[in-house]
Formats: sequence, C-alpha cells, structure tokens
Amino acid sequence: MTPREITIALTGNPNSGKSTVFNNLTGVRQHVGNWPGVTVEKKEGFCTFQGRRIRVVDLPGVYSLTAYSLDEVIARDFVINGNPDVVVDVVDASNLERNLYLTIQLLEMKAKLVVALNMMDIADSRDYHIDIPALSVLLGAPIVPLVAARNQGTQQLLEVVMKVYNGDIQVGGVNIQYGHDVEVEIEKLEKMISDKALAEAYSPRWLAVKLLEDDREIVEKVKQA
Amino acid sequence: MDSAGIIRSRDESQEHLKRVHGDDAETLIADARYAFISGLIKEVLDKPAIAKATASDKIDNIILNRWLGIPIFLAILFGVFQFTFTVSEPLVDLIDRGLSWLSAQTAGVSPAWLSSLLSDGIIGGVGAVLSFIPIIFLLYVALSILEDTGYLARAAFVMDRVMHKIGLHGRSFVSMILGFGCTVPAVMSCRTIENPQDRLVTIMVTPLMSCGARLPVYALLSAAFFPVFQGVVVFSMYGIGIILAVLLAWFFRKRLVAGESGHFVMELPPYRVPTIPGVAEHVWERGWSFISRAGVIIFCAVMIIWSLDYFNVLEPIGRAIAPVFAPTGFGQWQPAVALVFGVLAKETVVGAFGTLFAGAEGVGGFGNVLGSQLGWTPLIAFAFMVMILLYIPCVASLGIIKKETGSWKWTLFTLGYTLVLGWIVATLIYQVGSLFL
Repeated sequence: MTPREITIALTGNPNSGKSTVFNNLTGVRQHVGNWPGVTVEKKEGFCTFQGRRIRVVDLPGVYSLTAYSLDEVIARDFVINGNPDVVVDVVDASNLERNLYLTIQLLEMKAKLVVALNMMDIADSRDYHIDIPALSVLLGAPIVPLVAARNQGTQQLLEVVMKVYNGDIQVGGVNIQYGHDVEVEIEKLEKMISDKALAEAYSPRWLAVKLLEDDREIVEKVKQA
Repeated sequence: MDSAGIIRSRDESQEHLKRVHGDDAETLIADARYAFISGLIKEVLDKPAIAKATASDKIDNIILNRWLGIPIFLAILFGVFQFTFTVSEPLVDLIDRGLSWLSAQTAGVSPAWLSSLLSDGIIGGVGAVLSFIPIIFLLYVALSILEDTGYLARAAFVMDRVMHKIGLHGRSFVSMILGFGCTVPAVMSCRTIENPQDRLVTIMVTPLMSCGARLPVYALLSAAFFPVFQGVVVFSMYGIGIILAVLLAWFFRKRLVAGESGHFVMELPPYRVPTIPGVAEHVWERGWSFISRAGVIIFCAVMIIWSLDYFNVLEPIGRAIAPVFAPTGFGQWQPAVALVFGVLAKETVVGAFGTLFAGAEGVGGFGNVLGSQLGWTPLIAFAFMVMILLYIPCVASLGIIKKETGSWKWTLFTLGYTLVLGWIVATLIYQVGSLFL
C-alpha cells in the first residue's frame, strides 16, 4: 500500500515570492484550474519527497485573512476546510513586519505552520539581521530560510514540512492578548459560543474574535447555527 | 444561548468597546496584532537605522532606550505621585472639613455610646478612609492615562531586559504594574503567563507592588511626618516594592521553582490619545471596588474595632501583640491593632487609627497624634509605611492567590514570607536609621 498523499497549502503576501516557491517545489508537475464557483485561478502541483507524494496547493496571495476580498475568503476556507496537512507561509524577510500580519493570523487559527523565510539574500544585502531561532521560538513555529529565486532551501523546507507532518516538530502557535477591555468581551462571547456545534469546527476563542471583528462569513455561520 | 442572542451580545460588546476606546473592535484587534508584531520585530530584527522613522518610532527610540528607559519610567512614576498629591490636596481638605463638621454635630447626641459610635466609629473610622478617595481616584486617573496612551506596555518592555536577567519575562512585569491599582486583578492577569513556574513566581511577588489601598496610609503618615517630601516618601514606597519584588522573584525562581523560563512577545501598541470615556470607565472600574470595599469591609472592621475598644478589650489584645514589633519602633498597642485589622484591607489601618484617635485635630489630621501620643519619629513612621507595604497581602488578595495557584501551600507561603519580610525590613530601617539619626 502506498502511503497517503500529503497536502501542503502555500500562503503568503503578494510579492513574497510564493509563486517561485511553488515552482521550485513542483517543477513542471502542475495544473491550473479555477476555485469552485469563482473565476479565481487555482494552481495545484505535485512532488515526491522521501517516497511520499505531496500535493501543493497555491493559495491566493493575501495580506490578511479577514473576509473582505474573495482571495482572502478562498485562502482562509482552504486552510480551515481544505484540511491541509501542513501550511507553508512564505514570508518576505526584507519586509518582515508587514508579512507577519498574515503569519500570526494563521497561527491564531491553529494552522500547522511552517514559515518559509524567503528573500534572505535581499535582507542580507540591506544589512538586516534576523534572529531566526528567536523568531521561531516566539512564533512557536519552525522557520526555514530560503532564497527561492536561486532555488536555495527547497529541500530543507520539505524536510521541515515532513517533520511537522510526522509530529517531530510541534507547532505551538501564538497567544495574542487583545488588551483588557477586548479580552473581557471575548470571554463573554466565548462562553456563549462554546456549546454550539460550530465550536467543534473552530476554536471558541477564534470565533469570538472573528465575531468582534465583524467577519461577514463567521457572523453568517453563527446566525445559521 | 440562541444565535440571535449571541449576535445581540456581540453588538453590545462592539458598542461598549467603541464608546470606551473611540475605535471599533476590529481596529482594536488589528492594533493588538500589530502591537504583537512590533514587539516581536524589536526582539528579532536588527536593521540599520533608516531616515524615515515614524513619530512613534522616534518616541520609542527615546522611551525604549537601553539607558534612558528605566530612568524615564521612574521619572514618570514620580510625576504621577506629585500630580496625585498636589491636585488632590484641596479636595481632601474639603472632605476633611465636612467630616469634622459632621463629627461636631454628632457630639451632642445621646446616649453617649451612640455619640461615640457615630463620631469615633463611623465618621472617625470610615470617614477617615473615605477622605482619601480623591487621592486614589487621581492615582487611577494617572494610571489609566498611562495605560491608554500605550506607555505602560512600554514600561514593561523596558523592564523586559531586567526581568530576563532574573529568569522571568517582561510579561510578568505587566502583571506587576497592574498591582499598582489592585493586587486582585493583577494576580488574575498572571493567567496570560503560560509557563507555570513563571506564573507562580509572578503571583507570589505581585502583592509587593504597592496597591491603591496602601495609599491612604502613606498619605496620612507622609503628610504628618514628611510635609515637605511627601511625594519623595510615597515614591520611595513604590520603589522599595518594585526592587524587593524583583529581588525576591529572582530568588524564588532560582531556589524554589526552578525550570526553563517561557518565551513571550512583549506587545508594543501604537501610541494613542486617551479618550475621556475610556479613562473614565477604567477609573470607575478600579475606583468603585475601592468605595464599595470601604462601604462593607471597612465599615465592618471599624465597627468591630469600635466595639472592642468601647468595652476595653482592644487594648489588652494590642498589648499582647505589640512586643513582637518592639524592634521596629512601632511596638505600641494601637499600631499592633491597626496591623491586625489591616489584613482585612490595608486602608483599614487608617480607619483603625481614625477610631482609636478620634476627635484629635480633625478627621484627617490625626497623623500628628501618632507623634504626640505614641512618640513616633519620622523614622518610625517610615518603617511603619514599609511594614504596611510589605506585610501580609489583604484577605481578598490571599483569596485570589489561593484560587489562581490552587494551592494552600503557596498561599500560606506568600502570607508567611511577606510578614517576615515586612518585619525584617522595618526592623532594619528603624535600627540602622537610629544609628545615624
């Protein structure tokens, strides 16, 4: 029996080099289609690593995971409902601050995340020194430095992905505190949501935050529950 | 709860946050994420200075500066006390005069015990505590403004470096700073510290941070014994509290609860202009618990003190305990009684003195009586203030420590070590001070 296929979801900001990472991972074994029901392009590809067939799904490039744009909804839905085994978030190392906004939202969703720290060459040339071990500890997620443009780090990325998949590396994630006043409201809502069926698919805390953020999709889901 | 109920409750939460912060919940949540990222970036990214720094960056460059950060924090703290005492002085005087007038009205009431109950017990005891309300409210105003501007988060960030050296993290200092308001919510806030050892140590040292309830005691004694240096003396109490909390945290982390320390990102929220409704709500939240406590616990405590005193049993009790405190300089029966009742709530110390020395020089002015009747010197007053700062956290704090640690052992340990620490430091101050003064 051949082992089960592994699915990786590839996320990242626009211009983070996500497409290059995708090409490095899959080579020519890719096909382009549309996401169901919409005209947004869906790219999928395959590769084989350590004897395992890996499906790589390239999600739309987004800055955030609110429900404002179609791209954001697609990316988020796939992370939650597409059941990817591992999510690889491509982060532009030369633009760390802006890129991390997406990263921490993925971690708040408890995604099994690997951060692909891309464009390390550009960061180096600008004299940026990133303390990668510290960043990894503080994010609670593994980090793999890459220079995708020169196809450097792809093997290491796949190795770490496999380790996360196998449970050799645990993704702890972040615990963001929203400040006393907001936390009080979160706690209130969390208690109300916790006995709903919805709370089995999503964490109550995450739902409470999304409700406060006025996330259209989650508000609809709660209304229908 | 049905779906419509959840959405309604969500709407209420959003409206509430909008009213308090002037920003919608979505913005506040996004800000918290950016605050997290800013703090993260400060720890992991070292990049060459660029020309186009934002205003917030420029302020941070000064406030978070390696050498200036702590002096700026101390200067701001000092400013807070100067502001609190200067602005509240006329208000305290006004309440004082009102209470003295009220006290005079009750002097003629008969029978005599009722007159004594009203003037010594209620007005003298409870009134003495209430007369310090303006000070406490102004302190809360200052703390709320510092919190809402985003400065308190910076203070914790600055202290992060020091905290790392003692095996803790800046997140612990966030809880300790909350202790300036009240120990109970400060201990509860330790829940955000994930590492169990870090959390336990933070819970145990948080009571050493000087809370609002200790302020009436400082205000009373510093006004009587240090009229010129009131701000400096009160500030020194907070300083002693911080230093001892940090030293003991280091000691506990090393000797009692060893283990790997946790990792956190210290959030750096954007600077904001505080809104009036926001500050008002935070002040009210903190201030109301003080007033309602004065209404219940302090009223009951003062009633007990008054009746024990009326039937002449208080003095023997005080005399039995007093010798223990002889080395501290305040080994008289009245302060011994005040310390016992101070465990209920620290402001009760003022209420106890108010009842015991009622009628002397106005309600708030009886601090001077401690000098004339007990022979207290400024040195003894200072040692007593330190004792109030350090000894046994109040009953409510012990209750929350038990609840949060789930352990009688650590709760009783906190009770014991604070009592011993208070006694030792007060004794040292008095004995060493006596050699020089």
